[in-house]
Amino acid sequence: MLKRTLVANRGEIACRILRACKEAQVESVAIYADNDAGTMFTELADVSVNLQGEGLGETYLNQKQILEIAQEYGCDSIHPGFGFLSENAEFAQAVMDAGLVWIGPSPYAISQMGDKMTARITMKQAGVPVIPGEEVDGGLEEVLAVAPSVGFPLLLKATAGGGGKGMRAVHNPANLESEAKAAMREALNAFGDDRVYVERLLIGSRHIEIQVLADKHGKTIHLGERECSVQRRHQKVFEESPSVALDSELREEMGRAACAAAEAVDYVGAGTVEFLVTPKGEFFFLEMNTRIQVEHPVTEMVTGVDLVREQLRIAAGEPMSCGKLNMRGHAIEVRLYAEDPENNFLPAIGQLKRFVAPTGPGVRLDTGVREGDMVTPDYDPMLAKLIVWAPSRNEALQRMERALEEFVVLGCKTNVRFLTELCSHPDVVDGWTTTDMIEKLWPNGWSPDQTSIVEEAGLLIAAVCEQINYGKSIAISRGKSEHVSPFSTLSRRYP
Amino acid sequence: MEFKTGGGKMEIEPHRDGSMFSHNGLVLHTGNGLWLEIDGRKYKAEAVKVGDTWWVHFMGHTLQFEVVEPGASGGEEDGNLTAPMPGKVLEVFVTEGQQVSAGDQLLIMEAMKMEHKIVADRDAVVETVHFSAGDQVTQGAELIKLSD
Repeated sequence: MLKRTLVANRGEIACRILRACKEAQVESVAIYADNDAGTMFTELADVSVNLQGEGLGETYLNQKQILEIAQEYGCDSIHPGFGFLSENAEFAQAVMDAGLVWIGPSPYAISQMGDKMTARITMKQAGVPVIPGEEVDGGLEEVLAVAPSVGFPLLLKATAGGGGKGMRAVHNPANLESEAKAAMREALNAFGDDRVYVERLLIGSRHIEIQVLADKHGKTIHLGERECSVQRRHQKVFEESPSVALDSELREEMGRAACAAAEAVDYVGAGTVEFLVTPKGEFFFLEMNTRIQVEHPVTEMVTGVDLVREQLRIAAGEPMSCGKLNMRGHAIEVRLYAEDPENNFLPAIGQLKRFVAPTGPGVRLDTGVREGDMVTPDYDPMLAKLIVWAPSRNEALQRMERALEEFVVLGCKTNVRFLTELCSHPDVVDGWTTTDMIEKLWPNGWSPDQTSIVEEAGLLIAAVCEQINYGKSIAISRGKSEHVSPFSTLSRRYP
Repeated sequence: MEFKTGGGKMEIEPHRDGSMFSHNGLVLHTGNGLWLEIDGRKYKAEAVKVGDTWWVHFMGHTLQFEVVEPGASGGEEDGNLTAPMPGKVLEVFVTEGQQVSAGDQLLIMEAMKMEHKIVADRDAVVETVHFSAGDQVTQGAELIKLSD
């Protein structure tokens, strides 16, 4: 049993982990940079420690400082969350060398999977199918040289990459050089490593990933799939489980491949094996994420497994608590981003003057922000994950649409309306989701499906609010007579 | 009353009857929060003012309306290419005096770890380049000025 865990992350995922620690009766220590002071996650921890310094390098990526805090505050373990240091083998090793428990797989497993080229080679050897492509070790010249043999359209991917950074699709050979330069530059800035490799771009394919869980008692299981095909700029926005593209046979086949992938690197903990599935039903290994995943809640909703609690259990050396896979109903997650979908989904900033999240049956909100918080360009623009569960896919879509319509965010642009319309889009309703669907459906950018009556109604509201100084005059207009004595309602009967 | 939206300028003078306002058959009740009435059905609305802009939410829609002060000049924004986000200039492809065509890449900047291309919106001559590679820019900063 772990006693005290340091959560080396921030925002929404830090909240998720800190709550799991509370439930598991593990004490928790949060760390926060100056510009995160007073945010939600710092209040959910038993102890919150201010990181010294500015910028990511001096704070959330500062291995030395984080380890010192862990030791100073008597922690016995570190949970890295996702992003930041979660897939840094060197840090995992340093944590273990300091005598602490690393809540995640071994540094060996992280580095085998973290370097995408090594991962490809390892998977090929383990008999897991990989996408046709070329591993490249040299610089720009070698990329240009191997591209023709891979064929167009192709995808340039950062070897050290993730999250769509350093990834470029090239449809036209004429753009290869400039796109390769851009990918290398992005990769260098994001990961400090400018190597890229070349892969065939599988058009019209689906992005489907398998959740795996492995403990130190030799048990490796899969928890079914997540369909994450709906993406913009190679970042996921809409995830669901189960996928309409999988029958139980293909699920078992992919599940077996995912477990084989995990076992090939002696994987321990929660991990995700990503696959591309072609319209013909062939599947190819894409990569393995050696950490908890952003979209883990959809798996939790349909399998009833608490993945973060299992991570804590497994890290403590206990056997996992889940039994046979039993998927039930349908779950969908959407990612609420601070961004402007009408302007190529460009990140947006501003203050969350109003932030009213939906509630009701089957609705779960994972967020790290509250009304009044500032959205700054300092961190990832994801504000919240909204997850719904319902007995069927159709009901889940209806529930998500209802929940999104209730969601009020004012003061910062978000993709709420885009997500709402997605829920009733015929392609989504029919389950024809592919990784290129957003670019295909809205090649010239998305704009809301708005009737003139909506615009007129909005204009009326704005004009009236301006005229009556809405929001500022309430205190004056209500006056003193509004105070009702609590005793006057004492004997009132409520139905 | 005049407002600016993404689609242009709009004017409206709602009719007032106590705490009830109406326009073109639409009714807004303001007695207890904001309630929009359309065809006999009522919908809850939320509104908040940030700077000069009213942010409005109702029926799952979020809209913005910027108040245009009476008498304000309709200052047309032209020839300016501004930073969409705070970030860093990575590469500048043009020099002052250079002729460019619509669609030409002028500059690449990085914001939130993603690259954004700044592209010429018309055929023009580069009048001023305000930044060079490596410079930090704030949101809305003019990056390049074009003249016809």
